[in-house]
Amino acid sequence: MSIELVDIAYRYTDAVALDGIDLSIESGELLALLGPSGCGKTTLLRVIAGLEFPDRGRVRFEGRDVTALDARKRHVGFVFQHYALFNHLSVFENVAFGLRVRHWWKRPRRAELKRRVGELLELVQLGDLSMRHPAQLSGGQRQRVALARALAVEPEILLLDEPFGALDARVRGDLRRWLRGLHDRIHVTSVFVTHDQEEAFELADRIAVMSRGRIEQIADAQTLYTKPASPFVCRFLGEVNELPSPLHAAWTGERDAGAVAFVRPHDLVLTPAAEASAPAHVETVRDLGATMRIEVRHPDVAVPLIAIQERGRFAENVLEPGQAVAIAARRWVIFPSDR
Amino acid sequence: MMPPRKPSTALRDPAWLRFGLLAIALAFVAVFLVLPLVAVFAFGIEKGVAFFVSSLTDPDARAAIRLTLIVAAIAVPANTIFGVAAAWLITRFAFRGKNLLVSLIDLPFAVSPVIAGLIYVLLFGANGWLGPWLAAHDIKIIYAVPGIILATTFVTFPFVARELIPLMQAQGSEEEQAALTLGAGGWSMFWRVVLPKIGWGLVYGVILCNARAMGEFGAVSVVSGHIRGVTNTMPLHVEILYNEYQRTAAFAVASLLALIALATLVVKQLVGWRMRRVAPSEAA
Repeated sequence: MSIELVDIAYRYTDAVALDGIDLSIESGELLALLGPSGCGKTTLLRVIAGLEFPDRGRVRFEGRDVTALDARKRHVGFVFQHYALFNHLSVFENVAFGLRVRHWWKRPRRAELKRRVGELLELVQLGDLSMRHPAQLSGGQRQRVALARALAVEPEILLLDEPFGALDARVRGDLRRWLRGLHDRIHVTSVFVTHDQEEAFELADRIAVMSRGRIEQIADAQTLYTKPASPFVCRFLGEVNELPSPLHAAWTGERDAGAVAFVRPHDLVLTPAAEASAPAHVETVRDLGATMRIEVRHPDVAVPLIAIQERGRFAENVLEPGQAVAIAARRWVIFPSDR
Repeated sequence: MMPPRKPSTALRDPAWLRFGLLAIALAFVAVFLVLPLVAVFAFGIEKGVAFFVSSLTDPDARAAIRLTLIVAAIAVPANTIFGVAAAWLITRFAFRGKNLLVSLIDLPFAVSPVIAGLIYVLLFGANGWLGPWLAAHDIKIIYAVPGIILATTFVTFPFVARELIPLMQAQGSEEEQAALTLGAGGWSMFWRVVLPKIGWGLVYGVILCNARAMGEFGAVSVVSGHIRGVTNTMPLHVEILYNEYQRTAAFAVASLLALIALATLVVKQLVGWRMRRVAPSEAA
């Protein structure tokens, strides 16, 4: 089921959470809402679910206006950040909840209910834990119970709020790949919220980068990375060096003195140079294992410039602290100065 | 989960101080709590078991016991419903005057019970605001059972709400939101999600409410009129007997009240223990 948001605005008493959001999500798509905390991404997800009602704007599912419909009637699966499982119920009953609270004429028969819950528990690989209580499960297992519970009502839209936020790094990676596989099988339109760029890149078809209640850019991972629409997007998607005009004019050919070149650390090229011609100096060199992290100090830039080099490449051309270097870049993006 | 750490020994006081404080505390408990309790039972059966039983089966005593049970049977459920509703309102909704409502719930604790009784006399009494209208319609509230129920309800107003508000605040509303997205209506949400979550806290509040409802003296005394066999509750009956120099009978009835109190304490303790046992697994 496709989702269409038109000019959504939402105010808390003291802050603007959403400031005119337009967003179209195609049927079967897996979209990430990515942004720093407080950018409004969770509020937007809750607006889609019907847990919050926008001050302005429309929400449409498959063209049907659902703006005024409350969460109970929207038929949307929602997975909460802290799972919000029913602790007094077993895993089985948690998953069965959405079926049991239906009106009696829509409620499945006992055998049918048992079969459907069983299937879902198999789907999330928890078939043998159905009699356990949530308190007896690990974080990853609880997460999968929450997912099965949301899927039990056969929603055509699945919303996930920081689905891996409360898990440790290894479980997170495994569950992420598993969820992507699940989505490829069941093709339910899914939106998830995250502040983790890697998570968004690995999982999503498209990513909406949000900042201060607005969507900065919607695109696939590659486009976001190579053609960021704004300095914010560029900065948010990982470490980046911001070089003022005098440092880059020579190799970018950009004439505007206010233009800033954004260069990723692994695109920064450092070549040893004679002391007189190069004001930049290597400050520190750190061994990160697979890569080397080199910090370079240039008198025109307030913060040190960061270069990351592969171990092998670094060994061909060892840099020592104090070494004078010339700075260039393999790839860059130019933005007019926002200062 | 980490095993609980042993209390640090760094803060441990010298032995003489610890045992000294312990002795003072125990002596205090003995003199002010245990001794009076023993005295109640001792005086109650000083004329033998037969007299004890006859004091309790005396028609006036039986009427007092019955009235106390009736009052509790109405006031406690009323306050249970009110308490759940108020706690729900206060913890799940933002509205103007919420803090005022929270303070007002505490009013019966802050006001002297005698004042609480007087309020009802001033409202419903013969010379009160609504007195003439009530008299015209032949409705008796003051010096009758309805007045006692009203006064008791007022005094026991806060127990359930006070117990539930912090509990529901701590639990948050995420599970209810989850139930909502799964299509649960208000009714199934309450029975399947809210009630199981607050269950033991609710029982705890109801027990305290009930204990107070049965033991209330001040407010009930003002509105009751002390009509034997009609508007006498157990605490009032004890007072009347005592004032009439029927000391043993007074203490016999009093010992029944004391027994109720002890039973309440035991149940309260059990429920508290049960709540603590449930709580950690929910937090995990």
